[in-house]
Amino acid sequence: MKLFEFQAKDAFRQCGIPVPQGVLIEGPEHLPDAIDELGLPCVVKAQVLQGGRGKAGLVKLVRTEEEARAYASHLFGERGVRRALVEGAEPFTGELYLAITVDAAKAKATILACAEGGVDIEQIAATAPEKIVTQAVDLDHGLSGFHMRNIAFGLGLSGDQAKAFNKILTSLYQAFRRFDAELIEINPLFVTDDGSFVAGDGKLIIDDNSMPRQQGYEITRDHYDHDVEYEAALAGIPYLQFDGDISLMCAGAGLTTTVFDLINYAGGSVANYLEFGGPNYTRAVDAMELCLRNEKAKVILIVTFGTVARADVIARGLADAVARFKPSIPIVTCIRGTNEEEAFEIIRSLGLTPLSETEEAVQQAVDIAAGRIS
Amino acid sequence: MSIFIDQSNKVVVQGATGKEGSYWTKHMQDMGTNVVFGVTPGKEGQQVEGIPVYHTIRRGMCDHEADTAMLFVPPAFTKDAIFEAMDAGIRKIVTIADGIPLHELLQIRSAALSCGAMVVGGNTSGVISPGKAMMGVLPYWIERVYKPGRIGVMTRSGSLTNEVTAEVVKAGFGVSTLMGVGGDAVPLTRFAEILPHYQADSETDAVVIIGELGGTMEEEVAQAMESGIFTKPLVAFIGGRTAPKGKRMGHAGAIVTGSKGTVEAKVDALTMAGGLVARKPSMVGPMLRELMT
Repeated sequence: MKLFEFQAKDAFRQCGIPVPQGVLIEGPEHLPDAIDELGLPCVVKAQVLQGGRGKAGLVKLVRTEEEARAYASHLFGERGVRRALVEGAEPFTGELYLAITVDAAKAKATILACAEGGVDIEQIAATAPEKIVTQAVDLDHGLSGFHMRNIAFGLGLSGDQAKAFNKILTSLYQAFRRFDAELIEINPLFVTDDGSFVAGDGKLIIDDNSMPRQQGYEITRDHYDHDVEYEAALAGIPYLQFDGDISLMCAGAGLTTTVFDLINYAGGSVANYLEFGGPNYTRAVDAMELCLRNEKAKVILIVTFGTVARADVIARGLADAVARFKPSIPIVTCIRGTNEEEAFEIIRSLGLTPLSETEEAVQQAVDIAAGRIS
Repeated sequence: MSIFIDQSNKVVVQGATGKEGSYWTKHMQDMGTNVVFGVTPGKEGQQVEGIPVYHTIRRGMCDHEADTAMLFVPPAFTKDAIFEAMDAGIRKIVTIADGIPLHELLQIRSAALSCGAMVVGGNTSGVISPGKAMMGVLPYWIERVYKPGRIGVMTRSGSLTNEVTAEVVKAGFGVSTLMGVGGDAVPLTRFAEILPHYQADSETDAVVIIGELGGTMEEEVAQAMESGIFTKPLVAFIGGRTAPKGKRMGHAGAIVTGSKGTVEAKVDALTMAGGLVARKPSMVGPMLRELMT
């Protein structure tokens, strides 16, 4: 789960990483109070999850109350932002990049640092990878002094700076562990004129598998691009919405992704990716309800090849869903795996043709969506 | 002798008394797997499918020998159970748990690398050598998929494995050993670490890998081919060629971040290394025939 900046900075604060003084506001009417508290100039930052907020005009340094008011009404009005973080403008003399992520092959945490902060680190990695200083850390051994020296002196810091920097890195590593981070990042990390460090921005992605033990974070509509994606997430069913007209209701992540490819190869376009495999295989009714919420869908394509996700159970779920929703758009099925003969019988009883070749089913769905067959 | 498991492995089942554990223990036995005892803390003295259950692996090992462990243990307890198995000297372990916390995956993998254990999973259907033995939740009874033969299969997926392996069988081949490394962001054993076993295996003539977007496991396979660690014919199918960047396609590991994990990079690397990469599952069988004749 990706946290908003204000949540990430709360986490930073809890672990002792200095952050600018800030006030979270939920509407333009709360801005004057925030400015009273923080003074001017200050920075107004939209609390959205997309990257590149600066370039997208979602962050602005404001110098006067008028400018602040105009920008806030723009953010909360035209841009549809629900929350903004107002922060005092920190004077700084330099910017660094600092992050910790995981290295799956080495089975270690990896610290990434760069003397050029506030930039797109992916771009530096692609064009000048030698500028990025890295250090692997074994979780069972923890962060050692030499790890920090390798990073600090690798960045070209002085001995005094290194001492202050090591405190930040120690705190960041603590936060990485405590919040089960997939990625924790400070970009930029401001260097102030008295040689201390302040986190200008904060990014924290908590591992989804660790969410049961990370309390206090709830998914919100702002985590998703579409209403149905949010509803599907609340229902615990993986769902992604696209602009096409073929609604995928498949089981198994790899198989659904493959059907997504096959649709595109065949000249079709996907309305939504829905995957109801694993523990969700008995939930065809919920799955179809979500698919039918997508108004662009002209056909529903069901492809499964399950083991534990038995074909007969999926087909019975499909029959229940059809009885309940009486969908007006055609359904193409390719339901196979354990007890598939029974599944075929159930599908025939619905007046549908049980297909058993994925590519044939994909072609049929593409033809229906294109109006070539009905 | 198969590369990971056959009838000679002595398997302990951790979490044997649960609904899933007992159901699949029976299937594992039916296929020929030699299950020697089960473990569920607090349930010693019970029997599951004719095998005795102990509180701990240590107590079971007083009466039996075991060299392989199969876990039917919830994700939150998986690290502990794997460490228990490794502490007892077991070096082949399979976990199907879906949802092991990321940092624990790193700790498990790190410990396994240190002691030379091969831990397969999580978020997988398991490992099977059709006709010999199975560990996990694999439908060996679907004959058009799990037919014995001489092709090694490595996969990150479940249902897609059935889809692709059915094409291998349709082309006239069968499976020597199928290894499901799982769909997590940190697979505990990686494709390239299995390759030397397939290379040395006299029962495997060629390998099919079923990959997907995200991570670098397919690139590591290409490196093993380039450096001569693996020289047998290899065909790959990789899902997610048309997946949009930044979207997680079902599996935790199936996401392109920045420039890392694109299918394009994987296809290029494997092709350069001399492998054939199928655009569609139906091309896997014909490509195998092309390489094998």
